Amino acid sequence: MLSTSSGVVYSRLLLREGDESVYELFIGPQHPSSGHMRFIVRLQGDVIVSVDPDIGYVHRTMEKLAEGREAIKAIPLLERLTIIDSHNATVGLVTAMERLLDVEPPPRALYLRTLLSEINRIASHLYGMGIAGIMLNHSTMFMWAFGDREVWLQLAEELTGARLTHTYSVPGGVRRDLPQGFGEKFEKAARYMERRLQDYMRIFLENPQVVARYEGVGVLKKSEASRLGVVGPNLRASGVKYDARLADDYGAYKDLEFEVPTREEGDCMARMLVRVEEIKQSISIIRQVLRKMPDGPILSEKYLKLLPPKTRERVLQEGRVKFPALFASLKLPAGEAVARAEMGHGEIFYHITGDGSAKPYRLRVVTPSFRNVILFRYLAPGHRFMDFPAIYGSLDYFPPEADR
Amino acid sequence: MSSYVKNFGGHVRAVLTGLKYLVKPNRITVYYPEYYVEPPEGYRGMIKYYPEKCIQCGLCAMICPAGAMKMYVKKGEKKGRPGVNYQRCIFCGFCVDICPQDALEMTKVHDVAFSSLEELVFPPEKLAVEVQSPALLRGAVKVKPVFDEERGLRHE
Ligand code: SF4
Ligand code: SF4
Repeated sequence: MLSTSSGVVYSRLLLREGDESVYELFIGPQHPSSGHMRFIVRLQGDVIVSVDPDIGYVHRTMEKLAEGREAIKAIPLLERLTIIDSHNATVGLVTAMERLLDVEPPPRALYLRTLLSEINRIASHLYGMGIAGIMLNHSTMFMWAFGDREVWLQLAEELTGARLTHTYSVPGGVRRDLPQGFGEKFEKAARYMERRLQDYMRIFLENPQVVARYEGVGVLKKSEASRLGVVGPNLRASGVKYDARLADDYGAYKDLEFEVPTREEGDCMARMLVRVEEIKQSISIIRQVLRKMPDGPILSEKYLKLLPPKTRERVLQEGRVKFPALFASLKLPAGEAVARAEMGHGEIFYHITGDGSAKPYRLRVVTPSFRNVILFRYLAPGHRFMDFPAIYGSLDYFPPEADR
Repeated sequence: MSSYVKNFGGHVRAVLTGLKYLVKPNRITVYYPEYYVEPPEGYRGMIKYYPEKCIQCGLCAMICPAGAMKMYVKKGEKKGRPGVNYQRCIFCGFCVDICPQDALEMTKVHDVAFSSLEELVFPPEKLAVEVQSPALLRGAVKVKPVFDEERGLRHE
C-alpha cells in the first residue's frame, strides 16, 4: 500500500470515496501545539490517508484593521502576526512604507534592523525546535530551547525596551540606538548558544530515538517544494537556495557575508538541521553587524529636521528617537510598494497601496506559514499516525501567522 | 550490527548530556515575588505623566495605536489632558516618543495587579502619580540578569 522506493515513504493520497475502513480523527482546535487550529485526519488502520488543515481559528482581520487606521499604527498591529518573531514580521512592512514614502533610512539604522532581525530569527528557531521537541514528547528539548530563548529575548529587551513587542523599526529608521555594553553581552550569549547547540545535537538531533522519528519521514522533494510555493527553512531543506534576505534589498544584508544553509534530503531531519545551521549563521551575521556598524544618526534626515533644534540635538546625542508630530498622521502618497523579508518561518510579503490619505488604501500581507500550511496535505499521507507530530513539528507552522 | 553499536553510542551520549545538567543545573527561573528581576534601562513599562510640562497638544492620544490614550477635557476648558486605559495599552511607547515636551515617560514598573476593570483606567490625575511595583513594596530582593558564557543568563 505504501510506496517505499529506496526505503523512503513518499506522500500519496489513498482515500477512496465511500470506503468505510477509513475513519476520521479531529485534532484540535484546542491548541494542538503552536496555536489554535484543527486537523481533520483520515486514517486507515494507523496509516494516514489524508490530512485537511482547517485554518482560521485565530483570524483577526489584520489586513482590514490596518486599513482603518493611520499607517504607523499598522506596525504594532502586524507585529502580532507572529509575536515570537515580531521584528522580522514588521521590517518588511516598514520597508514597503519607506519605498512608498520615498525615505531612505541611514546606514546605522539598517544595521540595527539587521541586528534585531537576527536576534529574532534565533529566538524563533529556538521556539520552533522546542515545540518540535515536545511534539515528540522530548520535554528536555522543549525546556532547553525555551529557556535558552530567554537569553535572546533579554538581548532584544535591552535593545528595544520590550521582550516581544519590540515595535523597533519605524519609517525612516529605528527607535533606539545600541545600548552600552551590548557587544560584550551578545558575545557571551553567542558563545553560550554555540555550546548549547552541540548539547542539542547530542540530546535531540543525534539521539537515535529522534533520528528514528525524523529520518526519511515527511520527505518533500525539491520539485514539489518549488511547485507548492513553500518558503523558508522548509524550502531550503529540500535543496532550493532561496532566501528573501538575498532576493530583496532590506536591512544591511548586502554588506554582510553569510551562507544560506541548504540540504538535499527534504525530510524532517533536514528541516531541523537547516534551522540549527541558520542559528549559527545568524550569530555570525550579528558579529559582523557589531563590528562593521557605521556611526551616525538612526533616523532619516527627512524626519530629523522636522524636530525642534533642541530635541534634535538630544536625539542625536542620546540615541533615543523622538517622533516628529507628522508621524501621528503620516500621509501615504498615492501609489503602491512591495517588500519582502525573511522571517524565521520563511518569506513574508507586503503590498501596500496608498491613496494620499493617512490610512493605507490596501495592505496585503502574505505570511510564510500561510504558504507552508499546504504541506500538511502533501507530507503526511502514507505515513503512520505517529509520524504526524514529527512532521508537524519539523514544519515550524505557526497558526496565528497564517490566519492573520 | 554496526548500526547497533552506533545507536548505543548515540544513546549513551544523549544520556550523558542530560546527566551533565542533572549535576550542574542551568536554572534561570526567578522566584517572584520574593525576588524581582529589574528591567533594563529604557524598559517600556507603565506610563508617568508630568502635567506641568504638558502643552495639551493631544498628539499622544492621536498616535496611540490601541486607542488607549484619551484626552480628558474638563468642564469649561477647551483642551484636555491625557489619560490611559490600561485595558487597552500595549506599551508601544508611541505616545512617549511623540510627546514634544517630554511630559510622558515610561517607568520600569510592569507588575501591578488590579482588582477591577475600572481600576485600569487612569485619568490624568492618576497618571501623574508614580506607580510602585507591589513586589518591591513588599520588600522583594532586586536581582539583575547577567549574561554568562556557561549558564546563559544568571540573576544576581
Ligand atoms: S504606550 Fe502605546 S498603547 Fe499605551 S497609551 Fe501609549 S501609545 Fe497608547
Ligand atoms: S503629547 Fe505630551 S504635551 Fe502633548 S498632550 Fe500629550 S502629554 Fe501633553
